[in-house]
Amino acid sequence: MIKDSLFTIQRGDRWHVISEDYSYKTDSYYTILRMETEGKRVEPSTAALIDAFVVPICLERAKIAGIPVCEWEISQAYVPLPSIIYGLNYFASASEFFVVYDNDTAKEVIKHLTNRGKYPFCYQKLEENAEIFRCIAIFGKTSASPEAIKNIAERIYKLFSIPLVKMAFVKTGKDYALSSLSPARYSHLSDDERSLLEAYISRQEFL
Amino acid sequence: MSRLGIFVDRKTLSNSEQLNALIRCRDVAETLGHTANFIFPVDIKKIKKMDALFIRARTDPMNITYVAAQMARFHGIPVIDDPESIRTCSDKINMYSRLIKENVSLPKTVFLSKQELNVERVTRLFDDLGTPLVVKEPSTSFSLRVEKVSDIADFFKVARRFIKLSDWIVVQQYVESKYDWRIGVLDGKLLYACKYTIPSVTFKIQASVNGHIVYCGVDSVPPEEVPPHVIQLGIDAGNAIGRGLYGVDIKNNNGDAYVIEVNDNPSIESGEDDCYPHVFETIISHLFAA
Repeated sequence: MIKDSLFTIQRGDRWHVISEDYSYKTDSYYTILRMETEGKRVEPSTAALIDAFVVPICLERAKIAGIPVCEWEISQAYVPLPSIIYGLNYFASASEFFVVYDNDTAKEVIKHLTNRGKYPFCYQKLEENAEIFRCIAIFGKTSASPEAIKNIAERIYKLFSIPLVKMAFVKTGKDYALSSLSPARYSHLSDDERSLLEAYISRQEFL
Repeated sequence: MSRLGIFVDRKTLSNSEQLNALIRCRDVAETLGHTANFIFPVDIKKIKKMDALFIRARTDPMNITYVAAQMARFHGIPVIDDPESIRTCSDKINMYSRLIKENVSLPKTVFLSKQELNVERVTRLFDDLGTPLVVKEPSTSFSLRVEKVSDIADFFKVARRFIKLSDWIVVQQYVESKYDWRIGVLDGKLLYACKYTIPSVTFKIQASVNGHIVYCGVDSVPPEEVPPHVIQLGIDAGNAIGRGLYGVDIKNNNGDAYVIEVNDNPSIESGEDDCYPHVFETIISHLFAA
């Protein structure tokens, strides 16, 4: 799987587009947009991609669908500690987040993510014992072992229909809450994940 | 009594005209018997408690205004601009795709991906669309990142800069005109009309001349003085995008009218509505009738 390559699978009257970067205004995004304009049934949709990769929208949609999510707030400067912080602007990406435990680091991170206070940002307050857990989902399947994650991955796929996505969770005790979704690079896939994705592309694995 | 939320952002609220227009909007809402609540990005969770939301801040799918629009949508609250309109109008590739699909009259328009950026392809563009060409980065607003180019070298200079911001860019036939019509459309009906007179030094609506921002002249025009085919084209262009509030820019050259672009969140603060005293009333009534 070469960097930037894009795969299209047709199943019946439905098209699935697989990409390692579905971000807004990428070639993948516009390829999907063109198929939508042509009237093709294509997944993921451009609307779902923006919903998925803008953190507060992703979490609100997931919450309404009954998926456990992190509580979020929008701020211009204040952040409680500890928290996860995401940028919220044209240049921000959900794959770039910061966990802050002290005020000095928080200030630096906020300066960076808001272009010196130009934009608001999104934070999620963490419990003291919370951990971050990240894994990849391929057509809603994940090689991560916790049952809770397997279940959430399937529900996230039902909601956004993104064939390849990286999920970030906050684990507090035994509970997992969704923190964000972001594109997943081919080079970050494990051997198992790569085999699974290739099986879908070569139609050995059926949808 | 219904609650109208007016979403604003300090980043895009930068002059007294804008502030006066917001206050006028609030006053109109109150005269109609509603309460008006200004909502800033940090207040975004208050949107759930509103009965309608009117966004008055620079929209983009990647910024907080889109979050606001989606919050309203998720909770069944009527909103202008709605998420689809923001998504479509903020991205020129998306917007022109819709207009082309609905056969709306446009200058000749081609999308160019970064893989196609080569001399052969660009030469053909000049052959097909003429000289000069207009190159647009899809997220342009207020005519930023819109450039007129007259030869291949110029084209590459501009295109390489834009391709860093977007994998696809827009290339368009240049249409000359002394002014643009701006047709305000709400729910498929004419809301207002005005002329934006273009500064003589450059062809764009707003441009940086010697480092200063030059605004165009704005003249509100009563409906009977607007060519009917220009009004109809504005309405057709709005309908190609959705049922929301749009400002459609039209060049009318020797009777041939072309849509230059459809804007969501059109400016209503610089006298666009001088001949149309009920613009805010119409918008607010429309939101609450939904």
